[in-house]
Order: sequence, then structure tokens, then C-alpha cells
Amino acid sequence: MSAADYDLSEDERQALELIRESGGIYQSDFWKELDISSRKGSRIAESLAEQELIQREEAVYNGHNTYLLKPRTRDLDFSLLMAGDMLTPFIGEEEVDAQSDAFSQWLMNLAYEEY
Amino acid sequence: MAFEELLEDPVIQKYLHDLVGPTGMPVAAAPPDGEVTDEELAEELGLELNDVRRALFILYENDLAAYRRVRDEDSGWLTYLWTFHYENIPDNLEEEMHRLADALEQRLQYESEHQFYLCENCSLRFEFEEAMEFGFECPECGTQLEAMENTRMVEAMEWRLDQLRDELNLEAA
Repeated sequence: MSAADYDLSEDERQALELIRESGGIYQSDFWKELDISSRKGSRIAESLAEQELIQREEAVYNGHNTYLLKPRTRDLDFSLLMAGDMLTPFIGEEEVDAQSDAFSQWLMNLAYEEY
Repeated sequence: MAFEELLEDPVIQKYLHDLVGPTGMPVAAAPPDGEVTDEELAEELGLELNDVRRALFILYENDLAAYRRVRDEDSGWLTYLWTFHYENIPDNLEEEMHRLADALEQRLQYESEHQFYLCENCSLRFEFEEAMEFGFECPECGTQLEAMENTRMVEAMEWRLDQLRDELNLEAA
């Protein structure tokens, strides 16, 4: 939870948690899941997007226009790119070579240092 | 300095370090607010102008810096005014998470479809067919090759792939 989260209403806080935990949810499911009206759901989603706490993208779901509500990219767990103290070897590489020596080294680190 | 919150993340520091290298790191680690010239950066950081320029162009190639050129009225020289765009770092790293997930998927298939033999002396690994060709003796040193379990690595790969899929909302292929 970051400093900005403390200014949220209880409804907004719950909504943000739902979006973060689901990893992404359509607005039409979002308000049902929270057990609030669609109008209120829409207002909360708009407000969270305006505060840049979530990303809100237009989407078609079950044949209806709606929005996909996603956590911000910056909230992703980037440590999943690490194995031990080694960062994924594909950074700055044009092609991903799954057989490269550098990737083998990364996998060794993963197997013996973390797992 | 700008983007302080992002730069606190050790993974992001590591990412910048891997991109620009140790000589470029002073440039990458302290992005100023607003526009700056390469000469200003070199003087401020006490670096060679060439090292500063090299770091800036690497950042530029990765969408993390941009420049505009201004011609000096008197001298006629072009000045490059740089701005840092570290707001793109999260998107770049998300892309790297997708690439890593792809690589893990491919490699998992290979690892689970092959049997491996190891020369413990040279730490070389051979596929079953290769090992058979060499009569199960290391072509480098002649030591007998031993069957090698890769269960532990395969499990670690599956575990990390699950975590990545979960984080990125990917369906299992």
C-alpha cells in the first residue's frame, strides 16, 4: 500500500484491492463483485483511473462495450525477472534465445539459489 | 533529481546497470528534472563526454531518453537537449516479463523432452543422442558421462512460469 492509497474512501479501497488481486477485471463484473450499483461502480473506476491508481481501457466483453480495469504496470512484481542476483539475460537482446548459455546460467541460479 | 520512487527499486537499478554498464551508470542513476545537455552532464558528473553520450544513446534506444537539437545562433553548432523518460521503465519491464515467460515455456519443453548426460570433470552437458555417439565418454577429457537429473531445474522453471503467468494474467499454453 503506497502513500496515495490512504486518501481513498472505504469503497475505493476495496475496489482497488479487487482490481489488484484479480489482475484485471471488466467493469461489468466489477460492480457486481463489489455488490454496488453499476453507476457507483463506474464512478469509482473513473476516480481510481483519474488518480492513476489503475489503468482503464475500453473493451468489448460478452458483446457489450465496457472497460477493462487493470492494476498499473508499475505495480507489477518486477523481481520475477531475477534469479539470485542475475537479471533476465534477454534485456537489450533483439531475439529471445531459450537455449543460450546466459539463459542456462540464469536457470541454474533459479534452481539452486531461490527454489 | 526525477523519478526517485522508481529508482529505489533494486530491480530497476539493476536493469539500468545492465543497459548502460558501470561507466554509464552515473548518468542513468541520477536523471535531472527537465532538459540537460551532454556537456552539462559530463561536467556535473566528472565523466568523459564520450561515456555520457554513449549512455544517453543507449537510454534513447530503449525509449528512456529523448533529445531535441538546437542550433546556436552565434557558433552555428548543434546542441542536444536531453530529457529522461523513465516513466517508460515499467512498460519495458512488463515486456521483459512476457519475453521471459516465452523463453521459459520453450525451454521447459526442451528440458522435459530430453535426457541429459554430464561430464562432472568439465561441467559439460550432452543430450542422450550426443552422449551415445561419444560412447558415454567426454570428448574433451575421456571421463565417463553420468546420467543427469534435471528435475530440480524443471520444477524451478515451472514454479517461476506459474508466478509470471499469474502476475501477467496469461493463460497456460
